[in-house]
Amino acid sequence: MFPATLLTLMAGSVAAAFFGLLDERVGSRSKEVFSSIILAIALYTLYNLYVSVDGGVVVFTIGAGPPLAACFEVDALSIFMAACTVFLALLCTVYSARYMEHDTRLAEYYSLLLSMTAGMVGVAFAGDMFTLFVFWELMCISSYVLVAFRKERWAPIEAGFKYLIMSAIGATMILFGMAFLYGMTGTLNFAQMSETLSEVGGGFWVLVAFAALFIGFGIKAAVVPMHTWLPDAHPEAPSPISAMLSGMVIETGLYGFIRLLYVVFIPNAAMVDGGLATFKVTVGFFAAVTMIVGNVMALLQKDIKRLLAYSSIAQIGYMLIGVAAATEFGLRGCFLHVLNHSLMKGLAFLAAGAIVHQLGTRNLDEIKGVGKRMPITMMALTIAVLGLGGVPGTAGFISKFILFASAVGAGMPILTVLGVLNSAFSMAYYLPMLKNLVTTPTRDFSQVKEAPASMLVPMCIMAALIILIGIYPAPAVQFAHMASEAVTTKLSTYIEAIVRAVLG
Amino acid sequence: MLSTYVYLMFAFALVFIGLYCLSAKRNMIRMLFGVEILLNAANLCFIAFSSRWSPHVDALGHAVAIMSIIIGGCVIAVGLSMILNAYRHYKTLDVKELRRLRW
Repeated sequence: MFPATLLTLMAGSVAAAFFGLLDERVGSRSKEVFSSIILAIALYTLYNLYVSVDGGVVVFTIGAGPPLAACFEVDALSIFMAACTVFLALLCTVYSARYMEHDTRLAEYYSLLLSMTAGMVGVAFAGDMFTLFVFWELMCISSYVLVAFRKERWAPIEAGFKYLIMSAIGATMILFGMAFLYGMTGTLNFAQMSETLSEVGGGFWVLVAFAALFIGFGIKAAVVPMHTWLPDAHPEAPSPISAMLSGMVIETGLYGFIRLLYVVFIPNAAMVDGGLATFKVTVGFFAAVTMIVGNVMALLQKDIKRLLAYSSIAQIGYMLIGVAAATEFGLRGCFLHVLNHSLMKGLAFLAAGAIVHQLGTRNLDEIKGVGKRMPITMMALTIAVLGLGGVPGTAGFISKFILFASAVGAGMPILTVLGVLNSAFSMAYYLPMLKNLVTTPTRDFSQVKEAPASMLVPMCIMAALIILIGIYPAPAVQFAHMASEAVTTKLSTYIEAIVRAVLG
Repeated sequence: MLSTYVYLMFAFALVFIGLYCLSAKRNMIRMLFGVEILLNAANLCFIAFSSRWSPHVDALGHAVAIMSIIIGGCVIAVGLSMILNAYRHYKTLDVKELRRLRW
């Protein structure tokens, strides 16, 4: 049986296309309303699932059950990722209603947006690699088309093709990693792999599988040597899609990696030379490189959305610090930063999108001084950008503090130093960007109006949440704590649930 | 019966051919061939490993291979439609011409 959230999203994705066709005949706007309602229902079913999971694990089997057939295994971490995804998708759908109003082929747009969300939720719920791979590709294929959605211009096509080639290589690398794990353990189920991997020898092949999976998920998560598609694809997509891509899609790549690393590799780390340290140093090295390259490249940008895209790479570097720490505390910071980043970067892209929508340009020099004409957008962008920079009082400060503190606890103080320096350095491009927007205009902006209300409302909700988490972080930290516990201290619950399902 | 390592060697050979194809070829359609070759190498691994476990062949490996062929077909279809659109904009299939986006 499929989880209700996933079923809602997949059925909604199909139905949205029919509502789109209806709209083309009648001229109504039912598909926007329908997509928003579907996402709201998905959020409600997710809450029900959260109540029934209750810190444990719920297993959904399809057909015969775990040893051979696919299964979904929902724990607190899955709920966490799915909640971030569906919430962001809901806000982006509401925003899209006015942002995309001048585009054609909107039936496909909403259908693909829902199927991309379904893919991400499916990846979060997957209990075995087979399910993960199928939903992974559902997410990927939808996002290729969405990046290249405005095909009448050359830039989205070029970005989309680069994205497709890189991401397809990533998917094959994941398939390779899957194949090696399958060859060693004879199963694709996460829990069973974790159980049986220690019984087979061959540390070398474990490392090959790890490397293949790291490259595969790393391409999607834009870890630095594999990041080249991101600064093209994210700015060229329509802004709500940029918000989804930067906010959750790259984090889904990170999620896949964390799930594999913490469920399969780290419990069996003794098989590899150097054990746990090998995994920690590898991830830590890439964390350092990713945040440095992301920040330095962001400094050089003249295009507001491209700047934000490079800043996403740097934020992935911060999240990897928490993964490298390999402690519950580090992962808590990592997941809290996933939540915060989905709000902050999502908001930054939506606000930048509002400016692009009203002005038609993305060049920072040409939008100089527009902030005075669009005060609410400007306020939202300021909150988002200060959050990304980690200013106290915003959500970004809390998660960065936990991340950097966890690196000290894990015996990697060098990552803390690099993280703090990078975080300070990132203000060197965030602040000039903000100053640029409120300075004296060089062009006549008297015709420019504030963005429409249906675009401002999602932005204001996100801005309020960023401030709220910054001032009163306890519930969000608790939510992230439950998610990180699921793959560290409560991992045995996750594994036993499947083992029990197989036996009885 | 051949050892699994023989199949693995062929799979690795296919990986290198695929990566060579992706890095050396300038034609966009040939780059999609490279992706397809990589995908087939991974499928070959699954098929090879599926006969390794039980006296009879394990169906799970075959199921994954068939599913990944289907998904690969979808990716190639999207890729070809993008190439079609790229050709309309650039009037060439040379991937070196797709360099207007920089930094």
